[in-house]
Amino acid sequence: MNYGPLVFLAAFFALASSWCGFVLTPQLQIGRLQQTNTASGAAVTYPVSRPGLARQGLEVYRANGCAYCHSQQVGQSGTAVEIALTDAGTNQAATVAALLSLAKATNDEPAVWTALPALEMARSNSPATNLLSGLPKAFLRGSNPATAKAAVKALDSTSAKAELRIVPFGADLARGWGKRRTVAEDFLFDSPVMPGSQRIGPDLADVGTRLPDVQWQLLHLYAPQLVVKGSAMPPYRFLFEKRAVERGQSPEALVLPGKFAPPSGYEVVPKPAAKALAAYLVSLHPDAPLFDAPMTVASAAAATPTNSPAASEPAATNAAPATAPAK
Amino acid sequence: MSPELNQSAPLSAEPAEPKAGQVAVPVWLLVLLFLVLYGGMVYFDRNSGWFSEQVYAPYRNLQEVEAFQPVSGAPGLVQLGLQVYNKPTCVACHQANGKGLSGQFPPLIRTDWVLEPEPGRIIRAVLDGLSGPIQVEGQSYNGAMVPWRESLSDEEIAAVLTYVRQNPEWGNKAPAVKPERVKEVREKTKSHKQSYSPEELLKISPAD
Repeated sequence: MNYGPLVFLAAFFALASSWCGFVLTPQLQIGRLQQTNTASGAAVTYPVSRPGLARQGLEVYRANGCAYCHSQQVGQSGTAVEIALTDAGTNQAATVAALLSLAKATNDEPAVWTALPALEMARSNSPATNLLSGLPKAFLRGSNPATAKAAVKALDSTSAKAELRIVPFGADLARGWGKRRTVAEDFLFDSPVMPGSQRIGPDLADVGTRLPDVQWQLLHLYAPQLVVKGSAMPPYRFLFEKRAVERGQSPEALVLPGKFAPPSGYEVVPKPAAKALAAYLVSLHPDAPLFDAPMTVASAAAATPTNSPAASEPAATNAAPATAPAK
Repeated sequence: MSPELNQSAPLSAEPAEPKAGQVAVPVWLLVLLFLVLYGGMVYFDRNSGWFSEQVYAPYRNLQEVEAFQPVSGAPGLVQLGLQVYNKPTCVACHQANGKGLSGQFPPLIRTDWVLEPEPGRIIRAVLDGLSGPIQVEGQSYNGAMVPWRESLSDEEIAAVLTYVRQNPEWGNKAPAVKPERVKEVREKTKSHKQSYSPEELLKISPAD
């Protein structure tokens, strides 16, 4: 009864099949991802590798187990198209008539089209000046890009100008956790990738857009409850140093109010690890439109040069996230 | 020695082991299995997107994702051109607004050097550089433009020239430059080792 070869073959087959499933298939699928040009025509290379301090911050993020409570993957349930009017044109009566015929279409095909509040106004016969004020304004939301393109064409045939907007939607996006779904490209320069699985805290995929202030991040690491009421996050005070003030206060010292303030003659300054972690957090803003995650970015047409000097304050990149280089 | 351990004695008291008869697998089961397999394959084919890294739920294939790509007003060459322009190549001297720097670097706006219908001269200037006194828009410049022959490909030169010649923000509106045209000029001027001077360029026919 020599079952040796059979046992060997069975074990080999079991290991080989799981290796194919867990190693080979993902490698074939996303192993050769490269930097791409963003899909909006903004000609921005994406992603750009993180600056050195932020890369060190990834190690701090890993060492402190941030990924156990924070995910970094934003979900998306689908993509919608919106028809927005950018210019009312010279013949406003014709524009309003075209909009009303679109409103009629939404009645005919409720499955394809949803009228946005602006279009409801057209139905209730409010004056054209109200309807056409505050452009650009989105009037219709639909699920079918082909019909949307036709509708835009119809609007364009009047004197008005309309544009098609690609709008990702989903529960995470409604929470303000990002502008589009997280895709594999977002982690291209990160090793290891820590997308996390539990959401004890909020998702951090797009935290650099929401909270781009390094000082805020440092304050939050030192005393989370100080800046976020009722936060469940433990303080990371070991990333800071409380030291006696010598020859004037350090410019890096945290401004701490009330009970968090150090005794007089002392100051709280971030250690290099805290600075790196804050730099990493503000570098998280995966918001460039990509082929696999299309979206319309406001004023994407007015593309700025890709080599614009990296703003020292991330808040500056917040205004035009798609055109600013990822930090 | 006890009788139980006597291996050689036959166990005659045991009844014979039951045997399975030779029964064929029913045809209906084979057909059912085939149908289930076929259905699975069809489902896989329709919904897997063939494991493309660019297809995420709820989309099932590349075409569905492609339908949502924003329609860009500018053609591909112009987009690539913007990127090349800001590499930084041209932008370093001619500036992002194409106006150059007064007295140092000539503008790319409204000038015939850029907007000639046939791009023969401007392709040469980009390939091998341009130096010496030059009159642009009534102002004289005396600088040196570096050659880009080695660092930019045919497609990149065509793209950046198309971007410059067709930039609506600058009010430029000249025919596009095709990569084949750049390739042709590059072959023709292979032996040209130094920068062009403006006089030398003016002697060359733009269509050449």
